[in-house]
Amino acid sequence: VLGPRLAGRNGVELRPPTLGDQKPHLVWLAQPEVTRLWAPRHGEWTEEKAEERFKRQCESRDSANWSIAFEGETVGSTGIFDIDWVGRGGESGLFIGRHDLYGRGIASEAVRLRTRLAWSHLRLHRVHSWIALQDRGSRRANEKGGYAQIGLYRGYAYRSGAWLDDRTGEIFPERAFTPE
Amino acid sequence: VRRGGQVRAEPAMPATWKERLREAAKEQSAVLWTIETQGGPVGIARVSRHSDVGHCDVQDLAIDPARWGRGYGGDATLAIHRYLFDHLDKRVSAVELPADSERAKRIAERLGSVEFGRGHDACYRDGAYADRLYLRLDRSAWEERWGASEREHPPLPGGIER
Repeated sequence: VLGPRLAGRNGVELRPPTLGDQKPHLVWLAQPEVTRLWAPRHGEWTEEKAEERFKRQCESRDSANWSIAFEGETVGSTGIFDIDWVGRGGESGLFIGRHDLYGRGIASEAVRLRTRLAWSHLRLHRVHSWIALQDRGSRRANEKGGYAQIGLYRGYAYRSGAWLDDRTGEIFPERAFTPE
Repeated sequence: VRRGGQVRAEPAMPATWKERLREAAKEQSAVLWTIETQGGPVGIARVSRHSDVGHCDVQDLAIDPARWGRGYGGDATLAIHRYLFDHLDKRVSAVELPADSERAKRIAERLGSVEFGRGHDACYRDGAYADRLYLRLDRSAWEERWGASEREHPPLPGGIER
């Protein structure tokens, strides 16, 4: 499903993705500053595939998807995926495509908004994440949002000339939930 | 068997399984097997192989409950890891298990897998949550424990070993 609009602090907003939001992703995915910790850094990044991905997001029954907006402009995306509605768990992910905006707290606010909705509307019991340990921005955003580290997968993948570790974390949204 | 994973969003009936098998046959990043003994099926196994990285995940390994206790799960696990290490040249094999799945844990421990993480209250069934274990088997551990006896093929002649 497409997530509802969630107004946040400091100009950050989560909003339902649109087809138009997919186009800047094609530009961002071609930038090494954005993808240096990703693999394989190539793909079928065409408008046609972007449309297919958007269609899958719309039809998905086990995920909640958002675009991340900063001061009204789309700068990334986030979501909770592989939701198990019986066990009430899912995996979160987040992507900021505008590397010139790194360090502005956008990801941290997106994590806060996402976690709040995970409890207030989705009533998820637990959300977990996998983040490259060396991805300081994403890691810090999750830590600030209340994710606790529960494991470290050393030597998970080879990126930018080095073996990276993958940090797995979890959060229990009810405990992190603050009514507003 | 159901305790090992999450409730599926579709009924277990021939029509849906046919569709799932068709999808599995097209899947490029995962390998699905039937576990067979004495000419008949006793279970299934599936491994994701992540073509771009040196690790893989054992996603499913299920044995017909009527055949539990005969070592089929352990034998299938060894056969799968021969393929992963000797043929696909993987560095690490990982698996996630419910922490109260004693049979699965015994198989993983015998194989040489070690815990690198634990998700709390991550698996729900029978009205309660159980933890989820994250385990890994490194190639070096595999070779130390099983390298002498569990090669998929003997070394090739002329000094070529792999």
